[in-house]
Amino acid sequence: MHILINGLIQGLLISLLAIGFSIVYNSTGIFHIAQGAIYTVAPFLLFSFIKVGTGIPIAVLLTFAITIFLSMSFEKVNHWPLYRKEASTMIQLISSLGIYIVIIQIVAIIWGNEARVLRGGIDVTYNFSGLILTRSQMMGGIISLSFIIIFLFWLKRTNSGLMFTALSDNPIQLSLIGYDITKLRLFAFGLSGFFTTVAAILTALDIGFDPHGGLNIVLIAIVATIIGGRGSFVGPVICGILLGVIRSQVVWYTSARWEDTITFLLLVLFLFVRPQGIISNKGRLEVL
Amino acid sequence: MNYILHLLIYLDIYIIITMSLNLLVGYGGLFQLAHAAYYGIGAYTTALLMVALGWGFIPAIICSIIITGCLSLLVSIPAWRFRSDYFVMLSLAVQVTIYSLLYNWTGLTKGPFGITGIPKPTILGYKIDTLPNMFILSTVIAIICGVILYVLLRSPWGKALKAMRDDELAARGLGKNTRLFKLQAFLIACSMVALAGGLYATYVSYIDPTSFTLDESILMLSMVIVGGTGNFRGPIVGALILIAIPEILRFVHIPDAFAANIRLLIYGLLIVTMAHFRPQGLAGKYRFK
Repeated sequence: MHILINGLIQGLLISLLAIGFSIVYNSTGIFHIAQGAIYTVAPFLLFSFIKVGTGIPIAVLLTFAITIFLSMSFEKVNHWPLYRKEASTMIQLISSLGIYIVIIQIVAIIWGNEARVLRGGIDVTYNFSGLILTRSQMMGGIISLSFIIIFLFWLKRTNSGLMFTALSDNPIQLSLIGYDITKLRLFAFGLSGFFTTVAAILTALDIGFDPHGGLNIVLIAIVATIIGGRGSFVGPVICGILLGVIRSQVVWYTSARWEDTITFLLLVLFLFVRPQGIISNKGRLEVL
Repeated sequence: MNYILHLLIYLDIYIIITMSLNLLVGYGGLFQLAHAAYYGIGAYTTALLMVALGWGFIPAIICSIIITGCLSLLVSIPAWRFRSDYFVMLSLAVQVTIYSLLYNWTGLTKGPFGITGIPKPTILGYKIDTLPNMFILSTVIAIICGVILYVLLRSPWGKALKAMRDDELAARGLGKNTRLFKLQAFLIACSMVALAGGLYATYVSYIDPTSFTLDESILMLSMVIVGGTGNFRGPIVGALILIAIPEILRFVHIPDAFAANIRLLIYGLLIVTMAHFRPQGLAGKYRFK
């Protein structure tokens, strides 16, 4: 039971990241590896702001402002010019990877390579009739769950959300109707930065952070997105939670060293058996 | 002088790697991130055969080439069906799986402790244990690999491979068996990188899984991308530049703690700049699709 709950909370955080990835991937087709850079930067920024003594609310606000700005600047400086040049998806991927490397190294140079924790001392725990949860776990679960619900509601019910779904469905058609794709894309990157930062801070609160974990965690989010189904936003959420649960079970039954292997084997399985993902639009993709 | 020889040996090894990766990325259009894993398998099989079973260098290398060639099916079969993003993810899956096998299969690979005391290569009773000899060996192997690739890519097979890269459906329409081409391309590239791995293992005489991580795959890929894809000069230029950068950095006095970070930072910047201003790489010919 414990493991299940832990897995669920981990899964919710993966879901948040998967949303962050699929927002960009669905709407622009860019393999947004640089998301890992944002994931890495966020806790470091928060850490520094708190250390400077701005107070926690302002520190959180500043962190969000900077990461969202950073995420948007990826689009503005890198992906949009490449899109204008009609660069291929592979070039977009490579440049995203390049940005990831650059930012990670800058973080490592400024803040050093070692791991850190955001909170001091032992976390407060709560006991629910035998089920012990730490405060940061509870925060992680509740906050990420509420953000996911708000996001899905926004996506399905509001005008801007529907516009977004349209963007992921057929960007050229949308621009022909007269919507400004540039803004929407920029917005997608901003939103992705926001969700990534939420997940990053919540994770950092729970287990600490270091400059080199970003790529790994984003790869898991990517796996969740692909398994979940391209073009869908609900699929990644479900798969994120699923992956979290499966990963925690793997840790329990075998060892933490096989976590990533199982994750990727799951990806291989899905790509061969059901390449369109759990929740899919019609048609098979990337199949000759 | 010894230091320069050491660098040149590394350069030879990396030229083999980048040439073989260029066969896939530049000629086959098969963008993959599992090359370090195959490099690792090559290094590990050679090392294990030589250390645990006491085989000679040549049989061990041949055996490791065969094993890696068989394992190349792991990426070539997915390549039949998947392209671009999906194929990158699949090759990533192979990379992660093989890496964690190397890391966790402690019974065979000794896990994170690595394999120590790998003997220097002996060829026809002649022991190659000095730096100049090792340099000659690695250069000879690199040249052999280069010649093989040159002949192959000039042949109709190479032309068909390029045709497949440019338009797979058209190539199939003309009756080319693209699945077979992909299989062969991966077979050749992976065996070649296994050779490089064996060379590395015997040269360094100690290997552990951290030399074969995803980062290493990314480094190999960035060498190919920076140097250029789709022709012969490209990968050599790429290997040269990315090996030269850390050496040039030695002359600029930066603190040791940052040296590795600065190096990677420059790699990242190079990749981004290349993507924007010269997608075919410095000396390359082919732009990604």
